[in-house]
Amino acid sequence: MRKFLILPIIMSLVSACYWENEEALYPEHDLCDTLDVSYSEDVVPIMTNNCYACHSNANAPDNSFGITLEDYEDIAASATSVVGAINHAAGYPAMPKGADKLDTCSIATIEAWVNMGAPDN
Amino acid sequence: MRIIDRSSIVLGLLLMLGSAAVFAQNLDSLLQGVMGEETEYTTATFKATRILNGHSVEQMDEGQMDFRISHRFGLISSGAYEFFGLDQAHIHLSFEYGIKDWIMVGIGRGTFEKTIDGFTKIKLLRQSTGIREMPLSVSYMGGIYVNGLKWSDTERENYFWQRLDYVHQVLLARKFSPAISLQLTPSYLHQNLVETAADPNDIFALGAGGRLKLSKRISVNAEYYYLFIPDNETLSTPIYNPFSLGIDIDTGGHVFQIILTNSVGMTENAFLGHTLGRWLDGDIHLGFNISRVFQLKK
Repeated sequence: MRKFLILPIIMSLVSACYWENEEALYPEHDLCDTLDVSYSEDVVPIMTNNCYACHSNANAPDNSFGITLEDYEDIAASATSVVGAINHAAGYPAMPKGADKLDTCSIATIEAWVNMGAPDN
Repeated sequence: MRIIDRSSIVLGLLLMLGSAAVFAQNLDSLLQGVMGEETEYTTATFKATRILNGHSVEQMDEGQMDFRISHRFGLISSGAYEFFGLDQAHIHLSFEYGIKDWIMVGIGRGTFEKTIDGFTKIKLLRQSTGIREMPLSVSYMGGIYVNGLKWSDTERENYFWQRLDYVHQVLLARKFSPAISLQLTPSYLHQNLVETAADPNDIFALGAGGRLKLSKRISVNAEYYYLFIPDNETLSTPIYNPFSLGIDIDTGGHVFQIILTNSVGMTENAFLGHTLGRWLDGDIHLGFNISRVFQLKK
């Protein structure tokens, strides 16, 4: 009979279960805003952190066969290739070279900007 | 007088013979008992209450307290500068007590997520021979784990339940011979809060562990948990199946376990849900468990 003591112990262990994740619980904190993307405020910081080590005007001749992405005109002209490269799509060189893919939000931000027609905003 | 003497001697002899016969009968029943008229329970399926990281079917007897000190160090591959990982120690301390022979409880504190943990282990079946034949020892282990880290973001609303993980395990063990014991451990981990929607709140796992006794004091142990999780690539942080190898050294009163493992977590929620290393990539940690048993109640 004493073994029935097991029941309340087990019951106490299985109570209070939730099935939650932080992403869904706190959406405002990790929200990736792709609705209103600005070239200077959103795209340039991503490019600075991930691309200009090779693709700046100064570094490009030595590191990236002269492909520069620093000036607005240059990146706007290569926009489609940039999206292909950072998505590691077939037919494009996977970028950043020798490193992990960019985080999902950075990729989404650049894609959104290109889809807007790559404005200089 | 002489006649009486003689008859008393005869009587004495008869008595002696009689008692010898009675004694022989007792011996017979005793032998029968040993040979199978009684139930003999298997003992010492494992040396300690843990195979290495996970629980074994062993328990503290009534009134026994086990004080456990465990360490897992950093990566052995981090080299001499980090003293092969010894500079980054994770610890787990616990007090564990046998309330009855069939039920024990424990409470502990570990470095991983500054977790406070508690568990209950209950013997359901004992492997035995004789009148009652039972091929397996079966136990249940239920644990609850409270993440003790400060809230990562105090701006948002945080709830206590977000700190909780639960583990349920069924331990199925058999001592095949004095040297070899094996255990299967179906396990279920529930985490109230995970990082992203891609991460499972519930993880099922099947553990397998074994012990090979080399001498009276030394045995070699191995333990593996297979995690039933979706593709690792989809998780926010990939986790891997924990695998551990170790040696038990019994010094009488103490049990030392020296361990190589890919998990720094020592509690069930940590090694089932947060094993980040892979043996194949050389992510191996050195560690040890020390168990000291005190008899609190006779």
